[in-house]
Amino acid sequence: MSEMTEIDEAEARGRTELWPFWRRVYAQGDPLPRFAAPAGTPRHRFDEGDGLPEEYRGLLLKMLRHEGERAGNKSFLGFMATCLDLAEAIFPDATSRLIKAEYLAEELKHAIMFHRLAVGLERDFALKDVPYAHYAFHLPRETWADDAYFHFFVDLNGAFHARDWRESSYVPLAKMSATVERDELGHSEMGYYFLQRICETPRGKAVAQHLLGKWYPAALDMFGRSDSPNVPKFIGWGLKSVGNAEIREAYKTYVDAKLAALGLDLPDERAHRRFL
Amino acid sequence: MGDIVEEIRAAYGRVGITLDRPATYGTYYRLLCAGCGKMVGNVGDRLLPGMAAALVEQQFDLYATGGLGCPCGHQREVTRGGDPARWEAAQRRHGESA
Repeated sequence: MSEMTEIDEAEARGRTELWPFWRRVYAQGDPLPRFAAPAGTPRHRFDEGDGLPEEYRGLLLKMLRHEGERAGNKSFLGFMATCLDLAEAIFPDATSRLIKAEYLAEELKHAIMFHRLAVGLERDFALKDVPYAHYAFHLPRETWADDAYFHFFVDLNGAFHARDWRESSYVPLAKMSATVERDELGHSEMGYYFLQRICETPRGKAVAQHLLGKWYPAALDMFGRSDSPNVPKFIGWGLKSVGNAEIREAYKTYVDAKLAALGLDLPDERAHRRFL
Repeated sequence: MGDIVEEIRAAYGRVGITLDRPATYGTYYRLLCAGCGKMVGNVGDRLLPGMAAALVEQQFDLYATGGLGCPCGHQREVTRGGDPARWEAAQRRHGESA
């Protein structure tokens, strides 16, 4: 039995009515849009151990640095510790706190998966400490609604990127993409579940509406600048299918519908943005 | 990151919240109630310049009405003392939900 099979079985044993949150969503059909590379894009395919073109290797490492979920990345593990620390301080009830522990378990599973991938790619990189650079990972979280928004928005960003990796030219990444996508969507749904509970009271909804102004621009900013000069290179090498503007727009359509369903007013999409 | 951390410290100091020592490898910090020491949140040190002050400023109403801050009420009192007129206005605006 492989290590990952054991983890899969442990996960299955740990399922509850709520967890994993992705289960109910995927049972209703594919929740995410499909991304396709522009017609005529060259088809590349590289597996572990293959010689990689220098530019390709550089872009792949850049992408994985941003992703960050590696067992050898102490900053990622530190960030996970803040999630538990925060849950301990501000959790609304015991069930919510346990759900957060399930979330952490699943992120640590990703840390194992990406560690294996990194070791197969470049051992020095596997041990590299890379703190999250984007400000969305550093926004203050001072209430359960902040934490819920973090998961709803930021983990969903991960799900959208993982969806795009299904067609990745790097085979180890394509192989794990469906699992990462599913889990990250579930983490986003966990955040959404908490937001639903918070918005059940007028006071909670007022706080959520106020805090949406903090998280919404950060969420849209996470996709980077629409005119990023690296995007055509990523697409050309088959590491991405679509540009930052396209994936951001698909993401925005998705989150806007979910936020509207909560009865929240959507912020101006250009307000407080740093990376248009 | 030193300048950003000092920005964060100053911004939160204005509403009665203290920045604790770095919690994880110097990247994330606990936010503590300056009144009773209870942890009220956390923040990372990669905020962009000016962002901490703007965020805390935008959250004034939430501190003033108890939507954010410690259950001991310290942030509510600090914001009241810092800008009584704005504090009163926040109570009126959020009267139905606070």
